[in-house]
Amino acid sequence: MHMPRKLIVFGLITTAIASVALFSSVSAEDTPITDAQINRIKSSCISAKNTLNQLHATDALLRVNRGQIYLSLSTKLMTRFNTRVESNNLNAKDLVSVTNRYNSALKTFTADYKSYEEQLSVALRIDCTNEPVTFYDAVASARTKRTQVNSDVTILHQLIDEYASTFDVFSIDFSKQNGAKNS
Amino acid sequence: MNEHEDSQVTPDLGFWDTHRFMLLIALSITISLILVSISMTLYATSGAAQLDLSRPGYKAVSNQTLTKDPGFENYPTSGSLDASSLNDFKKLYEAQAVKAKAVDAFSGDPLNPESLEISAPEN
Repeated sequence: MHMPRKLIVFGLITTAIASVALFSSVSAEDTPITDAQINRIKSSCISAKNTLNQLHATDALLRVNRGQIYLSLSTKLMTRFNTRVESNNLNAKDLVSVTNRYNSALKTFTADYKSYEEQLSVALRIDCTNEPVTFYDAVASARTKRTQVNSDVTILHQLIDEYASTFDVFSIDFSKQNGAKNS
Repeated sequence: MNEHEDSQVTPDLGFWDTHRFMLLIALSITISLILVSISMTLYATSGAAQLDLSRPGYKAVSNQTLTKDPGFENYPTSGSLDASSLNDFKKLYEAQAVKAKAVDAFSGDPLNPESLEISAPEN
């Protein structure tokens, strides 16, 4: 009766020690920053923040201008052409499918950019002289999020091409059907 | 005489009756604070903040936005479809697709620790 209790206590202690050891090793992996690097972050603090501020502004401009073009492509061309095809009682299923995926990708792009911008703002608010490690981690996170935004842009470009090729297929089918009707 | 004096005496007003003007001001401020909080929350969560280049820090770039693009016409949603209308759409779409894909936005790696000079120093 005493043995199981001892075993339980031993097990609990072992688990606690293992958890602490695991947690500290994960933390160490998350921020593998040496003292020399901390000193470098502190010394480059002002120039790094200036670069981040410039990037913050130019990326915002890029987001506004690119976003406007991406949105117009959907609302002024894709959706309107699909409506016209459907109003002529023709099959626009494939075109609508690509448009829906494009709109969905555009939403993802918007959400991912928002997340990236917020993270960059967080990094800019950190006092990198007093909190160099936190600053480094925030910049690293913003970097990952920016890469994600670039991936979203690549997907949007692929879908723009896909809509063009779907339109070409539609045009060929339309010409064939019209040719058959006329002959 | 007594009756005349009685008519001059102001009636006993309660606390809220006495301070109703202050109450009106306090209530107005409270309501406006609530409405401002709601609008600020919507501004921050909807993504509008990210498109607002009138914020501090964006003045240098705010005049570089594309306000009008004359090439981006609305394709008509009505009308019959024929070879000519398909050709028109193709021309419009190709021109805008080239514009959309002209820039590989958010490429490069400006947040690289080495370019920010916050990486580990080389030994």
